[in-house]
Amino acid sequence: MANPEKKTILIVDDEPDVLKYLTTYLEDNGFATISAVDGRDGFQKAKESLPDLITLDITMPEESGVRMFRNLQDDEKLRNIPVVIITGISSEFEHFIKTRKQVDPPTAYFEKPIDRSELLGKIKEILKMI
Amino acid sequence: MKTAGKTNSPEALQSLLKGQLFDIVPFGVAVIDRNMNIVTANHNFEEYFGKREKQHCYEVCKGLQEQCPQCNAKYTFEDGKPRVSDERGVDFHGRTCHYVVHVAPLFNDNGDVEYVVEMTTDMTETRIRQREYNLLFERVPCFVTIINRDFEIVRANEKFRNTFGDARGKHCYVAYKNRETTCPDCPAALTFKDGEERVATQTGVSQDGKETHYVVTTAPLGRSPGEVAHVIEISADISQVKELEKEMLDAERLAAVGQTVAGLAHTIKNLLMGLEGGMYMMDSGLQQVDPERIAEGWDVLQRNFDKTVALVKDFLSFSKGRLPVLKETDTNALVTSIVELYRDAAKKQDVELIHKKNKQKLTALLDPDGIEACLTNLVSNAIDAAMTREEGGARVTIRNYESENAVIFEVTDNGCGMDWEVKQKVFTTFFTTKASKGTGLGLLTTRKIVQEHGGSIEVDSEVGAGSTFRIRLPRERLELIAEEANKANSN
Repeated sequence: MANPEKKTILIVDDEPDVLKYLTTYLEDNGFATISAVDGRDGFQKAKESLPDLITLDITMPEESGVRMFRNLQDDEKLRNIPVVIITGISSEFEHFIKTRKQVDPPTAYFEKPIDRSELLGKIKEILKMI
Repeated sequence: MKTAGKTNSPEALQSLLKGQLFDIVPFGVAVIDRNMNIVTANHNFEEYFGKREKQHCYEVCKGLQEQCPQCNAKYTFEDGKPRVSDERGVDFHGRTCHYVVHVAPLFNDNGDVEYVVEMTTDMTETRIRQREYNLLFERVPCFVTIINRDFEIVRANEKFRNTFGDARGKHCYVAYKNRETTCPDCPAALTFKDGEERVATQTGVSQDGKETHYVVTTAPLGRSPGEVAHVIEISADISQVKELEKEMLDAERLAAVGQTVAGLAHTIKNLLMGLEGGMYMMDSGLQQVDPERIAEGWDVLQRNFDKTVALVKDFLSFSKGRLPVLKETDTNALVTSIVELYRDAAKKQDVELIHKKNKQKLTALLDPDGIEACLTNLVSNAIDAAMTREEGGARVTIRNYESENAVIFEVTDNGCGMDWEVKQKVFTTFFTTKASKGTGLGLLTTRKIVQEHGGSIEVDSEVGAGSTFRIRLPRERLELIAEEANKANSN
């Protein structure tokens, strides 16, 4: 974490172009970013860098976002990091994940393609920057 | 106690018979005089009608007060000829009974009929059995016909008549199927030949022109062990089952379409997101006058545009919703041609390609182009998977065989295998683990073609050990689809 004043966001998505987009956009808006291409990579990087917030895709090869989300929930240190789901699968997923009793719902949910200013607003709201 | 010596002479035998025959014959015997009075009766008669000597026979046997209107005994007294008749009477317990009466004259020395002997055999049980049999024959929820060696229907039951119309005297192939000649796979013909029972599935045409599917059992009916004079055909109507099967097939196809559309939406969302990202980078690059970012944005746009083109192409070929054109196909040869096609490509990747053929030639009714596309897909996936093997000996094995009346194709790799989550997704979304290489349509297309054949595709996989994709095409369903296609073509 080069700049300690900046809030750090971990972006997890298997699509390189989506990663590029989110990284560029969030950096343009004053965040530091870390990227990961799947759930395993994402969980590892979350443990190493303890980001302020995580954006997470659900459908990824290797290890899916669902499993990574559960792993985060199971980890004392990572449980309280807010997670914003950004995914292509329909809102049924939001319903699904919200109805699971054993895990807390993700903090926010966005469906691809995203409204980027809305995403930015939500992130700032979660991180109490506005 | 009688000694053997005494019974040895014919005279002694005669006297024994005279003494005992009257009571040991297995039917009732009553002797009546011209006034219809019972003079004597044997043990069986008395057990059946009661001990009623010196009474009128019509009182004893039928409970009547006067002589029966049609009295065979009277006629026999008149002309001295024996007679037989079916009678209904009342037995000793007051129950209605059915019996057969043989009436025979007893002549005196003058040659006049002095007495008449009535010999009665009880038919009550037989009548009940016959009624039960008739009820069963008529009302059993099956088509039942009895045919003779000329394939003419000599008897047909109610369900048959209701479905196929009155058919007595008609040939069975006319009545059941509206054919002009005997059926090529006639089970009854075989039963006539060897007297063995046969079971076969057949399709007939009802009198209102509807297709009727039935499973027929043919059994021999004959009195002598040698020649089968008649065959009984008992058929269970399975039209409804067939109808349900067809509906299920349609539902499965629809479900496949639904899943495909959902998957397509997901893929498009990702592409849109990529395009949006490219546009954002170009926009912000232009504003910040950052040529590097502009170039990067352009790359992103280009890449996502190319992906869209590839997706649309794949999707078009996927959506070519044609019914499979089923042909008798040699499955060994089909697999061999694919193995030939991929052998060099596999070798370059150090993957050994093995074909385990079915020992005998195995033909099946399928769409060779469609199934070839499926196998091509599975084999190319399997080679990709086998390449991920860390130690040597990468191998892809293709098997084709028959199991439980289904044609099976199996493609096995010894690559990295899949975990549960990946396995769940392989057929349901536009899912790819090959990053930008794949559109995720390959397995979806494969599954679609397999489902159009009425078949199923399943996957066994173990992380680290490899995967097996198995296409299963039940022959019954292949036949059903071939029929459908024929009908569609003839319309």
